[in-house]
Amino acid sequence: MDGRASPRPEERLQRRVVPYWMLGDTLSAVVLTGLAWFVGRPQLAAHWDTWSPALEQVLLGICLGVLLLGMVTPPLAFARWRYGFLGDLLLLRYGILFVEERAVPVRRMQHVDLVRGPIERLFGLATLVVFTAGNEGSAFRVPGLAIARAQELRDRIVEARGDGRL
Amino acid sequence: MTDVSEPAAAPAPAVLARGHLHPAILLLRFVEALQQAVLPLAAGVVLMNPWLLGFGGLMFLLRLGYALARYLTLQFTLTADELRVREGLLERQERRIPLDRIQDLGFESSLLRRALGLVTVSIETASGLGVEARLDALSRADADHLREVLLAARAAATLQPSVPPPTAPADGDAGAAAPAAPTVLPVPPAAEPEWLVHRASTGELLLRGVTDMRLSAFFVTGFAAWELADQLDVLHRFAGTAKSLRDWLLQFSPLALALFLVGLLFVVMLFGVVTSTLGNLVTFHGFELRLRGDVLQRRYGLLTTRQKTLPRARIQRVTVEQTWLRRLLGLGAVKADSAGGSRTDGADVTGGWDVVVPLTAMPRAQALLPALLPGLERETFAWSKGSPRLVVRTGAQGLLLAALLLPPAWLRYGPFALLALLLVPAFAVLGVLVWRNLAYALGQDMLTLQHGIIGRTLAFVPTTKVQAVVVRQGPVAQLLGLADLTVYVAGGSPTRLPDLTIADARGLAHAIAARAGIAAAASW
Repeated sequence: MDGRASPRPEERLQRRVVPYWMLGDTLSAVVLTGLAWFVGRPQLAAHWDTWSPALEQVLLGICLGVLLLGMVTPPLAFARWRYGFLGDLLLLRYGILFVEERAVPVRRMQHVDLVRGPIERLFGLATLVVFTAGNEGSAFRVPGLAIARAQELRDRIVEARGDGRL
Repeated sequence: MTDVSEPAAAPAPAVLARGHLHPAILLLRFVEALQQAVLPLAAGVVLMNPWLLGFGGLMFLLRLGYALARYLTLQFTLTADELRVREGLLERQERRIPLDRIQDLGFESSLLRRALGLVTVSIETASGLGVEARLDALSRADADHLREVLLAARAAATLQPSVPPPTAPADGDAGAAAPAAPTVLPVPPAAEPEWLVHRASTGELLLRGVTDMRLSAFFVTGFAAWELADQLDVLHRFAGTAKSLRDWLLQFSPLALALFLVGLLFVVMLFGVVTSTLGNLVTFHGFELRLRGDVLQRRYGLLTTRQKTLPRARIQRVTVEQTWLRRLLGLGAVKADSAGGSRTDGADVTGGWDVVVPLTAMPRAQALLPALLPGLERETFAWSKGSPRLVVRTGAQGLLLAALLLPPAWLRYGPFALLALLLVPAFAVLGVLVWRNLAYALGQDMLTLQHGIIGRTLAFVPTTKVQAVVVRQGPVAQLLGLADLTVYVAGGSPTRLPDLTIADARGLAHAIAARAGIAAAASW
């Protein structure tokens, strides 16, 4: 393998993963900020002597920031996500602040899960979870795949795996 | 044992060994149960409380009953291709472990067990859970038999073309062991030549203890010093309450007091060194590493004796670790990670299960590495350094940290907060140290990495064992065009090559992953 060429994976995730992620992120952000604002704030105001309107502004800012983050990160994550096969290697590239490029020999994979959550199913999406041996960093996910594509990927991995002696 | 046919051919695999726990385990459990029950019983007697007495007695009986049930029900069976362990009275459980999945075998025997002629056998697989099955207390003869049969059966089950040990000195009648007859199940003890790879001398073990810079020793020292200082301060404030002691202390000159403090520190340090030295001498007493066929065997220990077998093919990574003191003295400890085991770099596993060589001079350590990693002697490594931009990265991180610390610190301490800026040169110096120690090389079948700050670690990862490769860039690293390369194998912590240029990292990652893929295709 000519190492210096360092090919990049090309395939993108399904575009509809963006609204799916937004929905999920926003929901959890709403729950979190709701708790902080409607439950945490009165508690702080009642029990913390140095609580002041200025601090309340800060809390409001943080809450809005978290809500905003839930809207901003999905498109960025989608823009960065790439995956693809290079011969027998599965290549992934993802991450917003911390960018990771992962290369995994298909034959090293121990087993593959196809996960579909209830909301994920509404969007017609599936997540592939792949396990290699070892305990640290031994599982990774490829989210936002069309179901047919996910099944195709899984079959490809299982097939390649079948070549080797078990 | 001679009538065993080939495992593949036999429809119902022949039973090679079958056994129970040794009855003396009951005595051992009796003693343990007694130990546990002694506290509530004593309390019951002293407080004249019948409930406590009853509780203690019940606990004792329950434990004894459990031990009895376990003793009566546990049975292990060894066939040509699997080990079956059956146990349980109410909840029956049968565990089947395929022989070619067994990673390593540990034999442990504490003082009491040794007196009774008992051995605890632990069997590890790659499940990542550590010990898969533990046969608590077999008789020594049973355990030895089990090991011989397991090793022989394993060799036959995997049918590897066994590589002869490198430069094995003719060990007695080594010529008699015909190496080219893999289809015949090797008859237990006679066949394969044994080669002593390393025997730890008492001097080495002493050095290991003395240079064992346990953090705890420093903690204890620091805490003691702080306590004393605090006490003196307290004495100063509440002069009335402890006047006598203070007067007694004040009659000495400050110099004498300082000397006393230093002396105390020294004593505490010395205590730490002595205990760690004794601990090392006891744990690793008589350490021997032998290579038998393709299986490494370690045996060591004074009070608790331990024996561990580790098939060479199961080694995922070998590290030579030098703490700064050991590096100054030119010494290093060698450790091996097998699949399923998990430990962090630098940390010691209790019992020393991962240690291959407790401590030896670096040239010797280097010389015996090919015995652990066959093929290493054929490798030629072209070492590359990391990117010097790593110093800029750590400096930038220092700046970032200083910038975060400065505003709140300024509010509190005023201009003194500018001291936080010292973080920048400190981090830069750290970066220089890291960069100077960092080097890596990709050989034919082996990735090696040297890293450290003031200590140094040398790591060897066979590329055939690589599970995944990850190139990672943080925000600062993206600006500087740097990246970390992390190599995952099935055991131990991942091997991380920090601060390569992104092009180098990508190239290396693909080269490693491609080799791992080819190796995986060739043999699984």
